[in-house]
Amino acid sequence: MKKHGYGIGSMWYGIGSTAATNPSGAFVDFLDDGTAIVLSGCAEIGQGSTTVLAQIAAETLGVDLEDVAVITADTGVTPDAGPSSASRQTYISGNAVRLAAEKAREQVVAKAAELLDLDPVDIRLRHGQVWYEAEPTGRTIKDIIAQCRGEGILTLGHGSFNPVTTNLDPATGQGTPYATYAFATQIAEVDVDTETGIVEVKKIVAAHDVGTAVNPQNVEGQIEGGCSMGIGYALLEEVAVKDGKIQNPGLSSYLIPTALDMPEIFPVIVEATEPSGPYGAKGVGEPALVPTAAAIANAVADALGIRLYDLPLTPERVVAEIKALDSLKPE
Amino acid sequence: MDLFQLEMKVNGEAVSVPVNPGLRLLDVLRDVLHLSGTKEGCGEGECGACSVIIDGELVDSCLVLAPQAHNREIITIEGISADGELDTLQSAFLEAGAVQCGYCTPGMILAAKVLLSKNPKPGRQDIARGIAGNLCRCTGYAKIIKAVELAAAGLQQKEGEAGV
Repeated sequence: MKKHGYGIGSMWYGIGSTAATNPSGAFVDFLDDGTAIVLSGCAEIGQGSTTVLAQIAAETLGVDLEDVAVITADTGVTPDAGPSSASRQTYISGNAVRLAAEKAREQVVAKAAELLDLDPVDIRLRHGQVWYEAEPTGRTIKDIIAQCRGEGILTLGHGSFNPVTTNLDPATGQGTPYATYAFATQIAEVDVDTETGIVEVKKIVAAHDVGTAVNPQNVEGQIEGGCSMGIGYALLEEVAVKDGKIQNPGLSSYLIPTALDMPEIFPVIVEATEPSGPYGAKGVGEPALVPTAAAIANAVADALGIRLYDLPLTPERVVAEIKALDSLKPE
Repeated sequence: MDLFQLEMKVNGEAVSVPVNPGLRLLDVLRDVLHLSGTKEGCGEGECGACSVIIDGELVDSCLVLAPQAHNREIITIEGISADGELDTLQSAFLEAGAVQCGYCTPGMILAAKVLLSKNPKPGRQDIARGIAGNLCRCTGYAKIIKAVELAAAGLQQKEGEAGV
């Protein structure tokens, strides 16, 4: 018989290293042709950080995304950005890039204000053009940078950001381990086959507060990827260790979800602006995975009326629990 | 050891190279022909990162000994675009945001290519089955499936325009 259930899992997750300094630095060079180079030590591992850093720089400098080149993770030329871990790069390196870009921008704005005889606070840079409030001035960023070069001024900026945290009090455990937190709730719908013990995840709705979603498509990708890892954690993945040796070191014995194991996922992006984040952004990498297994386990408990306490919820475990419950029932 | 004179067609071009017969097709492609788009993942036929198309079928090139590719026609990821124009599938992967770390991508695109060659109008479940032998750890497959749907629709439209 197939039994149907729904479960919910919620989480909060600290962005950045726990109760530790974890700064990031960036350099921005606003070039003669009105394009920019961003240097950041941030390692792109597929999460989209290079794209996000380029977007933040483009937004700050008032140029198109295509006009920003980002050089990353090269210790020969890039400043330290800390690790791509702790769901921290958008928040921390994003801030460093924004600060560096603001410094490069300030010099262009100051020169434009001088040339146009305007107040710098009224100057905007958009799509490579210099604007006076809501009106284009007809001057391009490239013109202004050329003027700067003529006067021997380079339009460079550097920035660094370290989230505000404290050490934790060793006696009480109290303190501020993170400068900001991500929040999420996921709901899973499952079918459980009571004869085979197979749990099939039918649907996951995953709502994540990521602050501003700098790149919504990337945020969805991170959420969907996190859900697949969470399904693996809930149903498939277990490192078997015997005498200090891993017994299932290959993908033939340690199973991860395939496309056939994936339900439809409905990512819901909740944009609650984080005041300390770059344009209000926080992080999403690890949070995407955190609530999934809890939601699935709760859905299985809802379906069966039995709560399983060991992950993964393999068919063997599920059948054993059903049998154990049946054996307690009076004949 | 005697070398084996391996003759095959790779991405439409005839290739004849002397190779150690113990090499895998994957090694010949990457290390002899320098076609490094084909990735090695698990090396045991489980992950599909090394997928190539041999005579129209999707095959894990880590499980093929070089002499088994003799006189066969091989398509790798380098062979599906021509004259600097992206293949419909490649464009669809970009548009859908189906690439994250990218390691599974060449194999995924070739898996999708074979699927669409056999079933031009696949449903979601057909697509999932078509790429089930290609593991992806980071996208959750959602945008990959979306990309294959986009490509299928794009190919249908192209055929319609060509009056086929």
